[in-house]
Amino acid sequence: MIVAKLIDTTLCIGCKACEVACQEWNDQEYTLGTFNGSYQTMPDLAHNFWNLIRFNEVERNGAQSWVMSKYQCMHCAEAGCIAACPAPGAITQMANGTVDFVHENCIGCGYCITGCPFDVPRLSPATKKVYKCSLCSDRTAVGLEPACIKTCPTNCLTFGERDELLRSAEIRTRELKADGHAQAGIYNPAGVGGTNVIYVLNDATQPEQYGLPKDPEIPWTVRLWKGPLKALGAMVFMGSILGAFFHYVIFGPQDPEKHGHPEEEPTHEA
Amino acid sequence: MKLDEIRIPRFDAYERVMHWMAALSFVYAALTGLALWTPVLYWLASLSGGGFVIRGTHPWSGVLFSVVIGWMYRRWAKTMYLDADDRVWLTRLDKYATHQHGALPPSGRFNAGQKMLFWSQVATGLLLLVSGVVLWFPEEMPRGLRLAAIAAHPLAAIGSIGGILVHIYMGTAAVPHSMRAILRGWVSPEWARFHHPKWYKVWRDSANLR
Ligand code: HEM
Ligand code: SF4
Repeated sequence: MIVAKLIDTTLCIGCKACEVACQEWNDQEYTLGTFNGSYQTMPDLAHNFWNLIRFNEVERNGAQSWVMSKYQCMHCAEAGCIAACPAPGAITQMANGTVDFVHENCIGCGYCITGCPFDVPRLSPATKKVYKCSLCSDRTAVGLEPACIKTCPTNCLTFGERDELLRSAEIRTRELKADGHAQAGIYNPAGVGGTNVIYVLNDATQPEQYGLPKDPEIPWTVRLWKGPLKALGAMVFMGSILGAFFHYVIFGPQDPEKHGHPEEEPTHEA
Repeated sequence: MKLDEIRIPRFDAYERVMHWMAALSFVYAALTGLALWTPVLYWLASLSGGGFVIRGTHPWSGVLFSVVIGWMYRRWAKTMYLDADDRVWLTRLDKYATHQHGALPPSGRFNAGQKMLFWSQVATGLLLLVSGVVLWFPEEMPRGLRLAAIAAHPLAAIGSIGGILVHIYMGTAAVPHSMRAILRGWVSPEWARFHHPKWYKVWRDSANLR
């Protein structure tokens, strides 16, 4: 069974209880933020801050509008971080779809940061390893819902079977459309095979306003690097080694004693 | 003096140390780099303390290699420009590979193949350094640069390692006694006349053998 989080952004009141719950459950140390003239807690995700409610100020129909949206790992079905990771077992995709980092296998190369289309993983300067939302895999493993879900007071966040949540997202979208939000829709981008963090947006035509990329996918250079370049490398390396070996077998070494240089007279006499 | 007692100096100690610093740093960077490239070769990491360790050491070995390549450039670039004979030589690479030496124009201190190896290492070395620095600091570098570097770095490495594999074969098996040149510094007149006739003539004239 694939599990998912549904984030109905239309119900978010910006209370940030989920941020606190995430920090508490994951036992993160406290870091002083900066005040940037916004209601947002922190400017960005951090190695010890995995769940950020963005407070985006955007213009809609000529009026200023406040768009709140939860920023965290999307638990992609086709995850760019996994595609980019060179260390076996450092990132796992569990049977329930959760993408989790296994820190004893992480080598801290940071390639997942480049592979992730959502700019989620963060390096810790102390451990030199990478951290992000684990979908509370330590809670879901024993049948509990993630900490952020547990704490959300408005039912903006729900957790459960992915297909069921998609169905309720569709129902909610229909409601919103009937309410006059003609652009309402679901964010579940196909470019990464769908995500296990699904959003209901009241303007799905402009996901960027929520800080969500429009058409996220695993970058083609990452695919090139992990696919065709591997084959090219194997061909070049094996070709050089076998080519050299068979050159030796067929032609042998270039021995001055065996082949003279016809244009050259021996000039040095004893 | 007996012919077989004559030793022609080919690489002085300075050049030999330089070469072997390049070789050692390259082999280390190449093996750890291959481990970081693909899970299939990740076992190579255990040769040097495991993945977490080589994540730290690989970039530094690359920096060392780049510094030595810069040094090599200062020392050798002048002798590595192709002359007219070299250009003809390159078009007859097949003759060289099949030991038809009579069909080849004479080479100087380095033949055109060696010169091309030098230039290809300078070019790939530069590309590896620039793309490597970008990959070194994932959180400081703009994502577009990192996406370019993630493909450019292995591409340059494939070219560079492929070239060095051929170079190692030439140095160890295909051209007898060249290892003595790069390890101990000298070659025999026979070797010099056969492989590098124009360079040999310069030595002969200056040594006043006739
Ligand atoms: C790792 C094993 C290596 C071996 C066994 C090896 C062997 C040799 C030998 C025998 C020579 C002398 C050729 C002559 O006398 O003409 C030489 C020269 C040279 N080596 Fe290496 N080498 C190695 C690695 C490298 C690396 C990594 C570089 C990277 C830049 C390099 C660059 C050169 C250059 C530029 C020369 C002078 C021109 C030439 O012979 O191509 N070598 N090497
Ligand atoms: S959002 Fe980023 S870190 Fe999370 S699964 Fe997708 S690629 Fe990996």
